[in-house]
Amino acid sequence: MQQVFSIPKSMKKDFKYTFCPGCDHGIAIRLVAEVIDELGIREDIISSTSVGCSVFLYDFLDIDCVEAPHGRALASATGVKRARPDKFVFTYSGDGDFASIGLAESMHTALRGECISSICINNTTYGMTGGQLGPTTLLGQKTTTSPTGRNVDYYGYPIKIAEHIALCDGTAYSARVALDTIPHINQAKQAIKKAFQVQLDGLGFGFVEILSSCPTNWHMTPEDAHKRVREEMIPVFPLGVFKEVSKDGN
Amino acid sequence: MGKIVIDDSRCKSCYICTMTCPKGLIKKSSKTNRLGDYMVEFNDEKGECIACAMCAKRCPDLAIEVYK
Amino acid sequence: MVNEKVLIKGNYAIAQAAVNAGCQCYFGYPITPQTEIGEYLSGKMQELGRGYVCAESELAAINMVMGAVSTGVKAMTSSSSCAVALMQEALSYAASDELPVVLVNVMRTGPGLGYIYPAQGDYNQAVYGGGNGDYKIIVLAPSTVQECIDLTYRAFYLAQKYRNPVILLADGLLGQMMEPASFGEYPYPEVDVSSWALTGAKNRDARSIYSVAREEKKQIQHIYDLHKKFDVITQNETTFEEFNIEDADIILTVFGSMTRNIKAAMNVLRKKGLKVGVFRPITLSPFPHKRINELASRGKDFIVVEMNMGQMFKDVKFAVEGKVNVDLVNRPCGEWLSVEEIVSSVEKIVEGRKQYAASV
Ligand SMILES: Cc1ncc(C[n+]2csc(CCOP(=O)(O)OP(=O)(O)O)c2C)c(N)n1
Ligand code: SF4
Ligand code: SF4
Repeated sequence: MQQVFSIPKSMKKDFKYTFCPGCDHGIAIRLVAEVIDELGIREDIISSTSVGCSVFLYDFLDIDCVEAPHGRALASATGVKRARPDKFVFTYSGDGDFASIGLAESMHTALRGECISSICINNTTYGMTGGQLGPTTLLGQKTTTSPTGRNVDYYGYPIKIAEHIALCDGTAYSARVALDTIPHINQAKQAIKKAFQVQLDGLGFGFVEILSSCPTNWHMTPEDAHKRVREEMIPVFPLGVFKEVSKDGN
Repeated sequence: MGKIVIDDSRCKSCYICTMTCPKGLIKKSSKTNRLGDYMVEFNDEKGECIACAMCAKRCPDLAIEVYK
Repeated sequence: MVNEKVLIKGNYAIAQAAVNAGCQCYFGYPITPQTEIGEYLSGKMQELGRGYVCAESELAAINMVMGAVSTGVKAMTSSSSCAVALMQEALSYAASDELPVVLVNVMRTGPGLGYIYPAQGDYNQAVYGGGNGDYKIIVLAPSTVQECIDLTYRAFYLAQKYRNPVILLADGLLGQMMEPASFGEYPYPEVDVSSWALTGAKNRDARSIYSVAREEKKQIQHIYDLHKKFDVITQNETTFEEFNIEDADIILTVFGSMTRNIKAAMNVLRKKGLKVGVFRPITLSPFPHKRINELASRGKDFIVVEMNMGQMFKDVKFAVEGKVNVDLVNRPCGEWLSVEEIVSSVEKIVEGRKQYAASV
């Protein structure tokens, strides 16, 4: 018999994810690893890792990584890319890291059109610290710091990250995907590949926002969490490609 | 005909695969892991597995290998 | 040619010295009185095809430096006081990550926004740090434009040699002042960074640089290791300058550009019959505790002269271990203490000490 599904080569030998059961981080990182394998870039990568549930990325991926303080992954990645323009540089962070504490760094990296690729996990909460209100928390969503649900008076509105990044002139690709179904997982992989390809083609900043489940802090089974992604998140954060610059400049 | 192998040391008993397999070949087992969660098992007496790999693609912990 | 003297402003001297030292990337955000460093380098780095980013903030700038130096290149940022405050988180990370970050602080007045008067109020910020945890930074304090050049060279070398962040602690006076100085050639060997730099996991295992430690034992060991490393730095790299120390009864202790008036004050006091010497730490961290303690053991009193409320003063007091008198002549910021002010303050202190001695 022939193996038709196996662990990507760019994953570390004998890695064990430290995520909670059913957490979509695991799938997202697997997709990143598959794209790395397919593009054949593992040996050229220097990644900047961030703070959040993704903090131990270097335990899972067999690539060079430098850590950045919470929110500063994009600045650190900019430094790496400016120092070594020939290397492939990407970041992988949560929405809190990318779009709250690090929003300035993220937007400015896109505005500068840095040839960097960024993956942002939108799980509508700060996962690592135990499920507080974050920049993407949905209106009405209960968290440990919005016990009666997010209301506009106290908390304001959630941010639509992929749309904002698409508005930056330096962005070459910006998309939002989800991981709740097999077709969505397949689309997510294609989006990650495009966000990586625009860097290889020198077109600018490549970005993918991934709608992900956080069963633990949503207090849901993994299956119900995926249902929530489908029924509550996607209507607010529509899937799609918000910007795509092609090689011939369109 | 296909076959899957579940790596019990990676599996975290999230049961996503049990709900994903279109043929219903993955079920909660009566065995438990060290945390006391029921593990999952692949049972394909009739040789129904088509190696679609849907279970593996949705397994968050990369615990499933698929063979054809 | 390279040894030729040129008339140059401190900020430009630092910037050009960074270029000569092989600084591959500069990242910065404007703030007076150091903005000329970023201005000068914007053109220069582009001309040389090196990296330059007008960062969106000091937070971003220092994190860009961390990213760049993690790949084994030399990189720096520069800033001033209240904006260096924003970089403290990153310095703590860089110390723990053992990243050779070079940061130039051309001090202005604080606390808060303060103003652009020169001051030496960031001694504590630089030496003791505002970041979290038990970490140490190498701090070099130039006193002339020439030394701005020499210590910029040294900053890049020490940062890579010991894989430790280095702060060049200048002040507004030095940054804005013109003086003749010569650049010479970068005097240090290139440090081999190939054993740790991130260059992509090609023909070797993947590398990661991080400070997070899930295991308590590892974290404990890491902190011990960092401090052991700093013991070596203290052994090898503590530097200071002395004038007329041998016969001195009183040692004026200063750092940075305060040194300029102190030598004149020493000469005036000597003419008045007081045996006065000058001691100047060049490395504020590692601080020359040992040497100060030796001098104290020989019965020499200390008077610390600085433009803050007595920050280095505490270190000198600590170093003498109560063996001799330590007094403070200071002003928090603004116009540098003049020769006359220093002389009269020292005379007052000496008189006070005499009266006290007579009274007991
Ligand atoms: C400066 C700073 N502030 C706060 C924290 C605590 N902290 C760690 S992770 C985190 C939230 C991470 O959330 P997110 O980026 O959305 O990622 P997730 O954990 O959900 O994957 C916070 C607030 C920190 N480490 N550093
Ligand atoms: S807290 Fe949420 S995001 Fe973090 S590992 Fe657990 S399920 Fe995943
Ligand atoms: S999807 Fe994976 S982790 Fe979840 S129960 Fe199945 S094999 Fe285990």
